[in-house]
Amino acid sequence: MILNLEALSFVNRGAVILGGVTTVIPDHSLTCLVGPNGAGKTTLLRILSGELKATSGRLFVGDADTSLLPRRDMAHQLSIIPQDVQPPPYLTVSELVRLGRFRPYGAVWRRLTRQDRVAVNTSLARCQLEALSERRVEELSGGEQQRAWLAFGLAQEKRFLLLDETLDGLDTLVKKSSFELLKEVATEGKGIVLTTHDLDLVTQFADQVIVLSSGKVVYEGPANADLIRHVSPPSL
Amino acid sequence: MGLAMGPVKLDVHQLLSAIVSGDDHVAHVLVWDLRLPRVAAALLVGACLGVAGCLLQSSTRNPLGDPQLFGLGGGAAVVQALAMAGVIGVGAWGLFSLSVVASLIGAGIVLVFASRQGISPARLALIGVSLSALAAATATGILAEARIFSAQPLNFIGGSFANLGWQDVLPALPFLAVGLALAATVMGNLNAMSLGDRVAANLGAEPGRTRVASIAASGILGGVAVAVAGLVGFVGLLVPHLARLLVGHDFRKVLVVSIPLGAAVTLYADQAARLLFMPSEVPAGLVTALLGAPLMIYVARRVL
Repeated sequence: MILNLEALSFVNRGAVILGGVTTVIPDHSLTCLVGPNGAGKTTLLRILSGELKATSGRLFVGDADTSLLPRRDMAHQLSIIPQDVQPPPYLTVSELVRLGRFRPYGAVWRRLTRQDRVAVNTSLARCQLEALSERRVEELSGGEQQRAWLAFGLAQEKRFLLLDETLDGLDTLVKKSSFELLKEVATEGKGIVLTTHDLDLVTQFADQVIVLSSGKVVYEGPANADLIRHVSPPSL
Repeated sequence: MGLAMGPVKLDVHQLLSAIVSGDDHVAHVLVWDLRLPRVAAALLVGACLGVAGCLLQSSTRNPLGDPQLFGLGGGAAVVQALAMAGVIGVGAWGLFSLSVVASLIGAGIVLVFASRQGISPARLALIGVSLSALAAATATGILAEARIFSAQPLNFIGGSFANLGWQDVLPALPFLAVGLALAATVMGNLNAMSLGDRVAANLGAEPGRTRVASIAASGILGGVAVAVAGLVGFVGLLVPHLARLLVGHDFRKVLVVSIPLGAAVTLYADQAARLLFMPSEVPAGLVTALLGAPLMIYVARRVL
């Protein structure tokens, strides 16, 4: 399955945030979206997740035109961890990750199935959160909270996982292991789209890189540090 | 206890006899016409406030959510004051309807602010407290202007179940049913709401619809509570926190448990208000405030 972006544009109060983004994002791959602040990365992720409607252009998830899909149906295919996500009041890490198995069409009192529990436990283990699973999310450090949200995203087991700078708050070692984890998840079949500012790890792990500048794609292709730096603005 | 205790005490035999037969006319009237409506009113108001508080706390991600603190009951209070002053005379059903409409207007104001991304829980509570204070001042002004200085306005502002009859309780039932039915339509989405609108929407939980239905249901239930017993404070704040201690953080369970728990807390608060200072009594709202105010301070310290 692929995400097919055809000339996606987004204009807000006369300002062009995205100016005709055309690209293909496949599953089975880790795609890193890089670019300076204000380049349009977050806006593009919000359009991909269905939160924003593009001013023009079309987005296909597989063969399905998302302009014809209700938001609930898009939720079956794509999960997103926003950049400014806040810790949920009261919830423990395991309760947060269990909410990743929420089903909008399910019965009100739907209980977790065995498959749900396996997904939750696997996600907690992969993000090294077992020891923190009964701690409240709001009591964790910023980096631990980021890992909890990553586990929440993984537990959803959607075809595509969109991460908006989710790893940028982590320390170097944890960030590297998280990149390794995402690479592994992508190899298993998921499409991971990650916005980040860490070019070294992007070069090391990304299958595909898309560089945005002023709302336009200025580079897309394999992770080549020299090439990315060459086409990127100095502020990246 | 609510049926047996009071200035005239009834033993178990007298109580059962009064309930099932009319042989002892005085006891029968005492139980059926005076004490039972009061108990029913306390149970009903407590259930309304407990559910309304739970819906507000979950749908606005705000641990300070309470129909009185958020100003939902303010409009209903003004309507009740106008009725006491004789400005509006529409009968019990009309008065309940007007109270609910006024409370829904308050709910609409809360909805506008709560829908703004990034508004802090404390700021939302401050807006609600301001609305409540404005409404309480308006209601007091109406009563003062009408020169009503009896116990009725004091009971109303303090929140009291004194002197309530079936005519004060029965019109509330359809509104309670509508409020609970509306709450049931979005109950399954309440847990996802705690993740914030963007994540909730991505899960398919429809945060906009969920918040509108939750706050509208809170408005209906909050308006009904004020119409029955006046401004009984802090029950809506207190009960969901107590329910969370009992059943954990699953808002579906918290909502369901808030119905009997709210009813029980309010009933016992009213019994304390009625019996502790016999033969006189204090408004039940005083007792709920004694329980709720320390919790409010504790929660506010954590939130602010």
